[in-house]
Amino acid sequence: MASELDVGEKFALDGLDEQRHWQEVYREIIGGATKGSDVFFGHSIPRNDVLYKVRGRAKYAANVTMPGMLHGVFLRSPHPYAKIKRVDVSKAKTAPGVQCVLTAWDVREEGFLVGSLFEDTPVLAKTVVRHVGEPVVAVAAETLAQAEAALDLIEVDYEPMKPILTPQEAIAPGAPQLHEQGNIIADFTKTRGDAEAALKASDIVVEGVYTNDPIEHAYLESPAGISFWDGDVLTLLVCTQYPHFHHKQLARVTGLPMEKIRVVQSVIGGAFGGKIDVTIECAASLMTMKTGRPVKMVLERNEVFSSTTKRHAMTIRHRLGATKDGRLTALDMDVLCDGGAYNSYSLIVAGRCIIHSAMPYDIPAIKTHMKTTFTNHVPSGAMRSFGVIKLGFATESQLNKIADQLGMSPIEIRRINAVKSGTVTMTGQVLQDVGFIKTLDALEPIYEARRKELAAKPQTGPIRTGLGIASLGYGIGYSGVRNPSTARIEVDETGLVIANCGTPDVGTGSDMALAQIAADAAGIDIARIRVVSGDSTKTDDSGPTSASRTTYFSGSAARIAGNDFNRQFVEALAAKLGVSKGVVRLNDDQVLVNNSPMSFEEACKTIGSATKNIVAYGKFDPVNQLDLKNFEGDPYPTYTYATHLAEVEVDIETGRIEVPNYWAAHDAGTLVNPMGAVGQIEGGVVMGLGMALWERIVRKDGYIQNPGYRDYLLPGAKDTPTKIETIFVDNPDPTGPYGAKGVAEASIIPVPAAIAAGLHEATGVRPAKMPMDAETVLDLLDRKEAAE
Amino acid sequence: MTEMRKISVKVNGKAYEAEAEVRMHLADFLRQKLGLTGTHLGCEHGVCGACTILLDGRTARSCLTLAVQVDGHEIMTIEGIADGDTLHPLQEAFRDNHGLQCGFCTPGMLTTLIELLRDNPDPTEEEVRIGISGNLCRCTGYQGIVAAALDAAKRMRALS
Repeated sequence: MASELDVGEKFALDGLDEQRHWQEVYREIIGGATKGSDVFFGHSIPRNDVLYKVRGRAKYAANVTMPGMLHGVFLRSPHPYAKIKRVDVSKAKTAPGVQCVLTAWDVREEGFLVGSLFEDTPVLAKTVVRHVGEPVVAVAAETLAQAEAALDLIEVDYEPMKPILTPQEAIAPGAPQLHEQGNIIADFTKTRGDAEAALKASDIVVEGVYTNDPIEHAYLESPAGISFWDGDVLTLLVCTQYPHFHHKQLARVTGLPMEKIRVVQSVIGGAFGGKIDVTIECAASLMTMKTGRPVKMVLERNEVFSSTTKRHAMTIRHRLGATKDGRLTALDMDVLCDGGAYNSYSLIVAGRCIIHSAMPYDIPAIKTHMKTTFTNHVPSGAMRSFGVIKLGFATESQLNKIADQLGMSPIEIRRINAVKSGTVTMTGQVLQDVGFIKTLDALEPIYEARRKELAAKPQTGPIRTGLGIASLGYGIGYSGVRNPSTARIEVDETGLVIANCGTPDVGTGSDMALAQIAADAAGIDIARIRVVSGDSTKTDDSGPTSASRTTYFSGSAARIAGNDFNRQFVEALAAKLGVSKGVVRLNDDQVLVNNSPMSFEEACKTIGSATKNIVAYGKFDPVNQLDLKNFEGDPYPTYTYATHLAEVEVDIETGRIEVPNYWAAHDAGTLVNPMGAVGQIEGGVVMGLGMALWERIVRKDGYIQNPGYRDYLLPGAKDTPTKIETIFVDNPDPTGPYGAKGVAEASIIPVPAAIAAGLHEATGVRPAKMPMDAETVLDLLDRKEAAE
Repeated sequence: MTEMRKISVKVNGKAYEAEAEVRMHLADFLRQKLGLTGTHLGCEHGVCGACTILLDGRTARSCLTLAVQVDGHEIMTIEGIADGDTLHPLQEAFRDNHGLQCGFCTPGMLTTLIELLRDNPDPTEEEVRIGISGNLCRCTGYQGIVAAALDAAKRMRALS
């Protein structure tokens, strides 16, 4: 069984020679590339996993079967809030095929509560359920049908209680307290100067209340995993953004020592922040311990909707002041946020939102307050941008309002208020190498030209057209805490180089980016490198793949490790040959000893068994600290910036919005893999479009009303812009690997505000709620007509 | 006991015979009985398109088809698209145009496009978008997929 997880077998190859195929692909694309310092960095090299994925051979966890494997399922709470009076599993235990029925009483006390930031979530509910879909009992049986049939035989007596369904109810006097800590998850305030006085002194103040519905990550692959004993090591293959977190947690839940646990990330079918919490990991592992057998658990799609985390619903009260020449004077923002039944990543979302309150603008006076409460909804958690998309909707819409009222161009108002290199943020951080204005400069000629083209086109029939602008600034990595990444590079006598990187590839192609960086730093051919990532035993804990941090943090670690590899390799070869290390070079995959060439393989053979002493190491750990009491400090090592332009078509008879053309100008530093970076931007824009126009989790009395793709509307190929033009401005980040920084999340942030601005230009109405579906737009148009 | 049926079916040119419960879906039959896990289940109710296969040359949702319905028929799945180790031009185009990220929707995208490009070797971008409008992708924003389909059409025309 161990071989299932060995290096090179993450993808089921069925006899294909993986290395040969890698080399074919790489050489085909890179073969004729210029040799030099940037041999692989900066090239659109197709990712290695594509070969398995287009053949249908990638090992997603649901595709793995093992001899003797059991199938696990959950019995979930049918109530938003209820006491558990009795759980009787006696009939289920003797049902056909059932091998294990797991209840809260089977989980050891020390491991009863789990969670990403706070251990507050029962592995299985014991005395109370706090949301519909909370797991209460787990069953493992010989077949999935037998496991599901056994669920019907379990008797649970609940005493339903009145659920808390809004943050307002949660903070009302006398409200029942959902947790020992009370109902408040986060309550943060940050001030800079006197915002109230500054607003009073402003020439213009705009006010608005911005709201959104919860959003589903809607990764195509449901959470899935398989746990098994590999010898005496409890092993879990699971689709996750953070295997090392599960490793540590399973040690506590199971009571096994760390070295008797291994968590390996399976090939993952999308994540977006939704595969960073606990789903099947603990229950599957405990049932393997009880039965000694492999246990596979795959959530059904309706379970994904009813039990996994969602993007937070927020209500943002926003006041923004400016002088009559468009200079921002003050911001007052007050946010109330539905955190759901457990902590998950709510605290991180609140912290990041506070820090990003003014981004990407230099505003002298700020008061920002955010309160997140527990409710009896499914927990809110991490999702692409950690909540900043909602601030973006509010702040960018407010700024556009000011620009319109002052008759200013939306580009110009951003330019005069933009953060620049040297700007001191409200946390006191001095920003460096800011490329924000470059993104405005890049879009301005496109915006002006398109304006003229559209103005020349007569608007006939029910279709109205408008252009909208919105921008963003976004911090890379965890907020205000150190979050180092590491890489270890090894080589064997045959010349196979393994780069062990902690952060897993969640489908973005980050393994390829890390290989490109490591190959250039080591001075070797990329086809020699296999990146091993997301394996809690083979790699160091380098944090999760989240917060747009993999390229910047793990890429930097890979670069340092690559340079170290080059040095160690040269020294090892020199020692073996008995020459001074000064006469040995490794560059462009070519070894030179006293100027005479030697192939890399030959050099590895020469070093022989001493190759195993070459263990190159890289650690990237920028100092970023933030005092959470006063939000003072440098929360992120660097920031990414962008400006988007949306062309919006509105049918004023039906309210339907289409976005035929879209432009996105980004400062993402230097690009590791341009094709991959463009893919991230395009994917983010379309995800933002979904949130802006159609997507919403509909909830009633604590129940999700649309737990499937039939009723939860995702953008399809016909709904998305025909043209998404991505522009990367030239702005290398000297602190990143070869000038690179993160890119994955940011592209979603300005989309709703850009579309709202386009809608306003087209029709004069300005929505303040997402999604801006046809009903909302028609309602706004009706009200406008009634007012006129 | 659940009623079982023997099913004879040709998948990717190879003849299979297997027993299946009458209520078993084709997707589960392919994945569990035949070990062909390249066909993915995304939404389990016919919306996302990840499970799309070709049934006698026409696209079908294997999550909405019963295994017993394919007895005596011919099926093509993602595993049958390449010619041995040689990638199909459509697969090459997906590789070269960043037509996938996580890859979970890819089985259905490829089978859908195999049918589309067979019936319409020179599609417009609009026709490609309509053709894959029943297949959801959460990663790419579809741009890379559309580009890959148009590129594949060009490659396939050059070959024929």
